[in-house]
Amino acid sequence: MHTKAVRRRPRPGRFLPYLLLSPALVLLVGMLYPFGLGLYYSLTDYWLQFPSRFRFIWLDNYIGLFNRPLFSRAFEFTVGYTLVAVTIQVGLGLAVALFLHAQIPGRKTMRALMLMPLMIPPVIAALMWKIMMDSTGAGILNYALSFIGVGPVNWLGSPHEAMISILVIDTWGNLPFISLILLGGLQALPNEPYEAARVDGASPVAMLRYITLPLLRPFIILAATFRVMDSLRIFDVMYATTAGGPDDATTNLSMMSYEYAFHWYQMGTGVATAIVLLAMVVASSYVLLRLWHRTADGAAQ
Amino acid sequence: MRLHRRSLTGLLLSMPFAAGGVRTAFAQNDDAPSYYRQAKIDWRQAAGKSLTIGMNKHPFTESLLPLLPQFKTLTGIAVDYLILPEDQYFPRLAADLSSQQGQFPVIMTGPMRNWEYVSADWIVPLDDFLANPKLTDPSWYNLEDFYPALIAANRWDGKIGGGVGKGSLYSIPVMEESYILTYRKDLFDSYHIDVPTTLEGMAEAARQVKKNAGIAGIVARGTPSIASMGTGFISGLKSYTNDQWSELNGRMQADFDDPRSVKYTEMWVDMIRESGPPNWASMQWYDAMDAFAAGQAGMIADCDFFAAGYEDPAKSKIAGKVGYTTLPPGSEGKTYSGLWTWALGINKAAKDKDAAWLFVQWATSQRTLLEAAVSYRNYNPSRISVTKDPRVQKTMGSWGDGSYVRTVEKNLETARVAWVPEPLRTRLGDTWARAVQAIYFKRMSASDALKHASLEVDQVFKEAGVTAQ
Repeated sequence: MHTKAVRRRPRPGRFLPYLLLSPALVLLVGMLYPFGLGLYYSLTDYWLQFPSRFRFIWLDNYIGLFNRPLFSRAFEFTVGYTLVAVTIQVGLGLAVALFLHAQIPGRKTMRALMLMPLMIPPVIAALMWKIMMDSTGAGILNYALSFIGVGPVNWLGSPHEAMISILVIDTWGNLPFISLILLGGLQALPNEPYEAARVDGASPVAMLRYITLPLLRPFIILAATFRVMDSLRIFDVMYATTAGGPDDATTNLSMMSYEYAFHWYQMGTGVATAIVLLAMVVASSYVLLRLWHRTADGAAQ
Repeated sequence: MRLHRRSLTGLLLSMPFAAGGVRTAFAQNDDAPSYYRQAKIDWRQAAGKSLTIGMNKHPFTESLLPLLPQFKTLTGIAVDYLILPEDQYFPRLAADLSSQQGQFPVIMTGPMRNWEYVSADWIVPLDDFLANPKLTDPSWYNLEDFYPALIAANRWDGKIGGGVGKGSLYSIPVMEESYILTYRKDLFDSYHIDVPTTLEGMAEAARQVKKNAGIAGIVARGTPSIASMGTGFISGLKSYTNDQWSELNGRMQADFDDPRSVKYTEMWVDMIRESGPPNWASMQWYDAMDAFAAGQAGMIADCDFFAAGYEDPAKSKIAGKVGYTTLPPGSEGKTYSGLWTWALGINKAAKDKDAAWLFVQWATSQRTLLEAAVSYRNYNPSRISVTKDPRVQKTMGSWGDGSYVRTVEKNLETARVAWVPEPLRTRLGDTWARAVQAIYFKRMSASDALKHASLEVDQVFKEAGVTAQ
């Protein structure tokens, strides 16, 4: 027995590749297992509260979504918010990046300051905004606005204002990230086209329009891809400020999924909603990344 | 996210600063251990064990924390706790209960929540603990000292649509609340506003306060959740309909769109929209309570015991300026308030149920609840003897020149659990509250919104297989 065991002992090098791979394997299992489980639960009649009802019901949860009054509103808000938020954030991010790229005094300091919001956890930032956006008299934003004769604005207490407030908080937190990507892009651009344009007497606007933007396109698409994914599944800002309200105006698919799963114990519907959202995120990032590859390849040639 | 978690050690360290001032109220505090040892049980039978209790952010919770070291000394059981605001507490609790991890052996629950947890088989009846002489000394614990109506509210036989007050006892009440109209007596006097006796009068009073004092006429809870429906709103509705209406009819169909309910909801929402605060739709109970205590509103239709905070000069700007009355009665002249008790229950998945029961027994014992009331303002008492204590009488009796005690006594003549027992009450109430927000923001008419909400609830009941029994 003993000798046999010794003889069959493997050489130390044999398992080394597996050992080195193990973190990745653990990670893969750690990602695939919850995803597979979620996919399975989305096909079941799963109520936390009524374990005995648990059974496989194929696509009933997905079909049922169309009868949920909250679903169509949450779906519309998710898509609409993403379109508006990404457009505004990438546009502003580009403006900030161009500004910081220009030869202006103090730009190094400004670049450092710009990164501040990235250092604050989003939930904390949202809570700070919630306090600033108080509409009952204690909020500093309304106090500041009162000096220019505006307001009081009902930041988080009214459906339309709340949607805009969410956009403001989200933009504040993520603008630095977009600007950083685009600033990196600007600094990597070749100098020759600009020199040639200057010799030809092109205006700064023309240089922006015909040189900077086309060359920056891969970077813009990359920033937009990240922001589309984040905006589709944004949760923390709503959770910490409006909880999806008022009147469900800021309930997106993430909030809806949370509501169904954790407040109403309707796990099947909650997880199905999350899977629909996941499909939207995967589909949109697939399209955008293909676009990015095409432009990046085009730029390389 | 308001979340604080401290170990007992941390609590002990902070004690002298946090509670030094009020502890003098119990000069004879040193006799506390001997009081508990009068119970003919071995308090140290679970010594060395540890418990984590899941608690909702609430005045009761605040009153219990400074007393926890006594429990550790008495039993040798270490206590850790997690306190979360209500909208996070219940989801967190459901996650623990449903996964059967037993992370929180002792939970803070109450009548309507029990219906959900009993249907899911997540909590255990307490009758066996009460009857076990090794664990409970019945004459020392004296269950009869609790108000019978409050014990009854925490009993349920599991029958959908009925059976409250029958069957097993699932939790022991630590406080009691019913719902009244609290108003700013100083403002009502100086602007000659009549104390309302009808819903129309309430709307008019709110209008007058807003016009004259320039503050919100009324504050109320407004978040799109069950919590917004269960207090002032449903009690006013029950009164308005002379207790002739329920949110579910005999066939367990939602009846929010009954014409009386539609009319009441329209009037209530109009009043809030016209005279309420701008952030009504995001107000939790503590937001509404704090706003009233800060002098930002003329009336609040909510928990009676919030008075303990309003009348505490350390926390309130309006102490001594408050009046108390019942909610406006219906055409037959009676009010029908809802009733709730925060209560302690035991998780079915708890590993040390005996230790958990020792905690529940200690926390709901006469001495603990008395000290929680006298030294830390936990109101209203669930035990008769605590109410009768002269110090409690003196404190409560001073509120609103005696109008507080009179109002609560009158209210309790007709107050009872306002909801029809069934396991989907949170889902039902959340859906209902969303309809009220849709009306407030004029996305739908009252009759349409309440009709849609009723249909949605019916659909969910069908999906869950919850039917009349």
